[in-house]
Amino acid sequence: MPTLRRGSQLHETERRLNAVLNNASVAIFLMDDRQHCVYMNRAAELLTGFSVGEVLARDCPLHDIVHHTYPDGRPFPLEECAIDRAFPENNQERGEEVFVHKDGHFYPVGFTASPIRDDTAKIIGTIIEVRDITEEKAAAERQRLLTNELNHRVKNTLATVQSIAAQTFRNVADQQARAVFDARVTALSNAHNVLTEANWESASLVGVVERAIAPHALAEADATRFELAGADTRLHPKVAVTLAMALHELMTNAAKYGALSVPDGRVAVAWTLADVEGREQLSLTWTETGGPEVTPPTRKGFGSRLIERQLPLEFDGSAAIDFAPTGVVCRLEIPLTALGWHGQDIVAGRPAA
Amino acid sequence: MGRRVLLVEDESLVAMLAEDMLLDLGCEVVVAMRLDQALKHLQATEFDLAVLDVNLGEARSYPVADILFERCIPFLFATGYGHVGVEPAYRSVPVMQKPYRKEQMEALLQHLLTCEAIPQRSDSGARAFPCGCTLGSKDSGPTHIRAD
Repeated sequence: MPTLRRGSQLHETERRLNAVLNNASVAIFLMDDRQHCVYMNRAAELLTGFSVGEVLARDCPLHDIVHHTYPDGRPFPLEECAIDRAFPENNQERGEEVFVHKDGHFYPVGFTASPIRDDTAKIIGTIIEVRDITEEKAAAERQRLLTNELNHRVKNTLATVQSIAAQTFRNVADQQARAVFDARVTALSNAHNVLTEANWESASLVGVVERAIAPHALAEADATRFELAGADTRLHPKVAVTLAMALHELMTNAAKYGALSVPDGRVAVAWTLADVEGREQLSLTWTETGGPEVTPPTRKGFGSRLIERQLPLEFDGSAAIDFAPTGVVCRLEIPLTALGWHGQDIVAGRPAA
Repeated sequence: MGRRVLLVEDESLVAMLAEDMLLDLGCEVVVAMRLDQALKHLQATEFDLAVLDVNLGEARSYPVADILFERCIPFLFATGYGHVGVEPAYRSVPVMQKPYRKEQMEALLQHLLTCEAIPQRSDSGARAFPCGCTLGSKDSGPTHIRAD
């Protein structure tokens, strides 16, 4: 049996362990089978405000020293404590709790608890790592507030633009132009709805398509006239917005002149996702059938310009609208931009696209 | 104006608006919506002027600005953030506050052409237009919509 004699190997090991433990930035508690703390490192003393001597002298469960009160002021009995109650059976049991500092203030922590077993695999204690997550909580809260503010502001700005247009063009004879304008702003607003659902990080392709073909913001697409076929994927916000606007223009054209201008006309939107030179590429085809005979437009309008010119320029893809007599067919090839926040490539050391 | 303008703007609808304004001013317009496209156009074509959106998604348009400086082609930045949206090294470049307005665009482009504002590299390494190009370098008037 090794001994704790000075100069022995065991003493050297202990010295090294102390050096490791007391320099660690995470608080480490060693608990016995009665939930009493038998060891805590320097970071744990800083975190709790208690010295290891004070904690040992109390001779009570650690819970009653650092976790005794709920943030709302109610007493927090040991039996209700997730950390201590679940003498963790599994390694790396994780969770979040709110501790009470020696000076009385509450602070949120993230913990990881793992059982300590004896030679017969019997659990004889617990090792608990604890981190102060005040900063993370505050950052997440700021993020939440900012996202809410962004959602709110974007919607309000678009609504304001609509109102300005309504006021400005109130006495203008061409009310049709205003209706077209309104529908476009609504399409833009719908595209942003899809984005807000995922914190502006990305949008669901199916969501974008479904919103674009629904006649009103809250309406469902008419399932009998539309056939959607393709797997869902996440779209970069820019792709989502431009695609939504492109689909809106196709919708408007179909409703005015194409398949959706007659009761029996149908529209199929089918897409595939393929790997092209390491990038995901979206190939989407819009096909109208059952509509009146199509005659190519005499001049290219906003929709054609947006789809055939801007969309390929913006995404290095291609787009073609075929005004076939049997029905409009639009083919889009869009290399999908990698998802991620702006500047992620730079931080990750990859060249910016 | 009859000048050939390189327009770099990464939002489809905004690019269409700016392109139309430049066309209305009588310019010949080449649109680039990505940094690589803009650099390619600069290699292939001679330009009299350029209008650069600062933020191009994940990229910035500064590499284009650098080539314009080298080639002594006058240009301006367009950004919703005003002067604070531009790196200090490029602060001498006139900034057009977004959203695009035709009068503002016309005045700035006229200024670039008539003041013979040929950009040069100064000894200090900072980039400057010799005329100082104070026009548009400060917020002038209440009509500006600020995005910051």
